[in-house]
Formats: sequence, C-alpha cells, structure tokens
Amino acid sequence: MYAAGAALVLLGFAGLIAESNPVGWAVWFGGAAVAHDAILVPLVLLAGLALRRTGWAVRAAAIVAGTVTLATLPTVLALGRRGDNPSILPLAYGRNLLLVLAALALAALLPRLWELLARLRRRPRE
Amino acid sequence: MAKSLAGRFTSTLHSEQVAAKLGMWLGVSFTVAFATGLFSHFVQHPPAWLLWPSRPVNLYRVTQGLHVIGGIATVPLLLAKLWTVYPKLWQWPPLRSAGHAAERLSVLLLVAGALFQLVTGLMNIAYTYLWPFGFVQAHYWTAFIVYGALVIHVANEWAKVRRHAWTRVEQPDRRRFLATVAAACGVAALVTAGETVTPLKRLAVLAPRDPDVGPQGVPVNRSAAAAGVTQVLGDPAYRLVVTGAVRTELSISYAELARMPQHTVRLPIACVEGWSVECEWTGVRLRDLIAAAGGAPDAFLTVESLERNGYYRSSEVRPPHWQDPLTLLALKLNGRTLDPDHGYPVRLIAPNRPGVMQTKWVGTVRVA
Repeated sequence: MYAAGAALVLLGFAGLIAESNPVGWAVWFGGAAVAHDAILVPLVLLAGLALRRTGWAVRAAAIVAGTVTLATLPTVLALGRRGDNPSILPLAYGRNLLLVLAALALAALLPRLWELLARLRRRPRE
Repeated sequence: MAKSLAGRFTSTLHSEQVAAKLGMWLGVSFTVAFATGLFSHFVQHPPAWLLWPSRPVNLYRVTQGLHVIGGIATVPLLLAKLWTVYPKLWQWPPLRSAGHAAERLSVLLLVAGALFQLVTGLMNIAYTYLWPFGFVQAHYWTAFIVYGALVIHVANEWAKVRRHAWTRVEQPDRRRFLATVAAACGVAALVTAGETVTPLKRLAVLAPRDPDVGPQGVPVNRSAAAAGVTQVLGDPAYRLVVTGAVRTELSISYAELARMPQHTVRLPIACVEGWSVECEWTGVRLRDLIAAAGGAPDAFLTVESLERNGYYRSSEVRPPHWQDPLTLLALKLNGRTLDPDHGYPVRLIAPNRPGVMQTKWVGTVRVA
C-alpha cells in the first residue's frame, strides 16, 4: 500500500516537473493549504463562537450556506465571462445565491416559526 | 499545567468517529473523481492500441457529469473533514519521530492537493484562469499526488476506519453534524446538476451553464470569433476534402454535401467542463463518406477544422466511432442550419465522446 501510494505521488511530481510550471504550481498548491489553515478555518472558528448560543438549526443552516457559497463562488463571481460567448456564465448569480441563502435562512427559522404558531394557536383557548 | 493548543478545541465534533465517517465518504468521492478523470484523459489521449467503444451513447456524458457535479458536492465534505481534524494541525510536539514526520508530510500532500484539485476544478468550470500554469496538466498530475497520498493515508488510518465503518453514530450532536454535511453536499449538487441532468435544469441556479442558453438554444464552448474563423465561413469556394489513404480523393462543395443522403440522430454534446445537452443533428454519415472515398475499414481518421491554430483544431476518430451509424458530419442542429458558433458549415458529432473532440468548422478528413 505504502509503495503504491508513494509511486503515485512520485509519478505526479515527475509529470508536473515535465509538463507544468512547477514554481507557479507550488505557489498555488501551498497557497491552498495556507489559505485554508490560516484564514478560512480561523474565520469558521470565530463564526462558531458567534453562533454558540443559537439553536442547532441556525448552525446547520450556516454550515450549508457557507459551504455551498464556497462551492459555487467562482461561478457567482463570474470573472470568466467573455464578450464573444454569452452562453458562458449566463445567469444572474448574485441574485440566485441570495435566493438560495434566503431559502436556507427560512429553513433555519422554521422550528421557531412552528413554535410561535403553536403558541398563538394555544393562546385564544387560555 | 498549561493546556496544549490542540486541547483547547472542546467541541465533541472533533472526534475520531466523525472524522472516520467523513473520511470514508471522501474516499468514495475522490475515487470516483480519479476514475472518471482518468477515463476522460484516456478518451482524449488514447494509446495506439486502445479502441474505445462508441456506445453507450451517454457514457462520457455520465462520467464527466459525475466528475464535475461530484467535485462540487465534495466541497462541503472536504471542508467538514478538515475542520474536524483541525486540532491535529497544532499537535505538540509537531514531529515526534522520522516516521511521524513522514506521515505528516503525506497528510500535507493530501490536504493541499485535495484543496488544489477542488479550487482549480471549480475555477476551470467558471472559466476563471488566474494561475500561471496550464489547467489540464496541473489538474491531471496533481490527481496522482492526491490519490497516492490518499492510499498512504488510508493505510495509516485503516484501524480507525474498521473501528467506525459499521457503527451507528449515537451522540445527537454528531448525528446532526453529519446529516448537515450530507445536506450541504446535496444542496451543492442540486443547484448545479441541472447543467447536465436536463430534467433538473430549473434548479441549476448556480451552475456555470444553462442548457437552454446559447446560439440555437445550445451552449457553446469556443465561439467562431474566438477560433478566428469568422472570415472564412461564408467562402463560396469551401470544399470538404477527404484525403490521405483513400482510393479516390473527395472534394465536396456545401451544396453537394447537402444533396447527399441526410440522416437525423439524437446525440448529446457533452463538455469536459461537465455541462451537456441532447440535441437533434442532421447531416452525412461519416462512414458513407469514407466508403465513397474507398478508405480501409480499420483506418484512423483525423478531422481537421478550418481553424488555423488552437489546441483542439483537429481530433482523431478511430474505427468504432467512424463506423457507428450515429456519427455524422452534421449540417443542421435541431432542424436549422448550424450557427457559426456551432461549427457552420460542417461539424463532427459522434456518440460517447467529449465536446472538444466534436470538431467544428470541418474542412478536411484525413485517412491514415
């Protein structure tokens, strides 16, 4: 297993050196790890502290909202649009992301809305 | 005694059980990505002995859809896993022995490589090229580093995987966390999958492509303007030439081509970037042309574009594909003459083949 894994790793490095731009590649390879470990995770830890006292539904919605935003961010930013080809990145992504996030916020608040409705329904009988 | 930094992470979600569950899901997703990626690579660069079949018609469409949509859905999974094991980054002492150092190096390759693959993949499907290297080579070779480091990691952690593989997660917080991550993967897939799974197209609000948007209602990757062919497309002197190892060289005008027996087929155009859409194509069977020219049944063809330069200006068509009755040199798309951006006057369309190999603006078919 170790030999097979190491062979694949070495093959990858050999290919990169032969066919790619090793210095530029290394900057992005290392940069991805540094950006994640030194910027993204500390921000997530702070967000976790801020949401400490909320219910699990709010925290779950925040996790879904944050990860889905990151997973679609290059599309939402749409830096790749080109004048000669309007079929690339054709949608209103900023608006669409806001709609997705609004739907998630609504889902996060559903348990509380439910509670509120139940309380309102009980009140007239009291 | 002062608490170590790693000991300050108090959430019960930073647990071996959660990490093992997420790790197993990641193992599946990276295996699918590696396998479908290699498939795509060797479809485009087959060794001389390898004859890919032309069926199933939608095979490439499915594997590449899995590669891209699966990759998008892997983002929440990878981020959740890295958050779960983040305290281990700050373990003290950082290196206990030579073996421990080697293990941490392989984890570094795995973490950086997995992030690199997702970041470059996501930016590539959004046509955002901010790096100083070629995407294809970097994404391809880094895949070997990631998968090799993954094999080493699985070998190291095998005992933990076995301990948790079939156990139920009992603690409610952990159950909710894993369910939330699964939901995030599902949402990420749902808002993008419609660019290739056509019935879901109305949900694809964050996909880089809308399968209905483009010239003639079909997306395009390389426009006629980008290919620099706009000037030559209207030329009345246009001839489709079939040449090379043939009995009779053919030189056919557009009008003659349109008078030859026409066939209509339904085939997907399936891009390496993950989007795909099925269309109706009308044109001349490639095998009829080769038969008319007297090419050998085991010949390899090269279909060449009028485009002068460009990485994808020509593509090879091997016997299983050119002998397939579905393979056309198409003149029409969805019943109308091809738009210049779709390859007017003539384009290749064949089953089970990536879009970059469906050569547009065809001028020459070379038989070898």
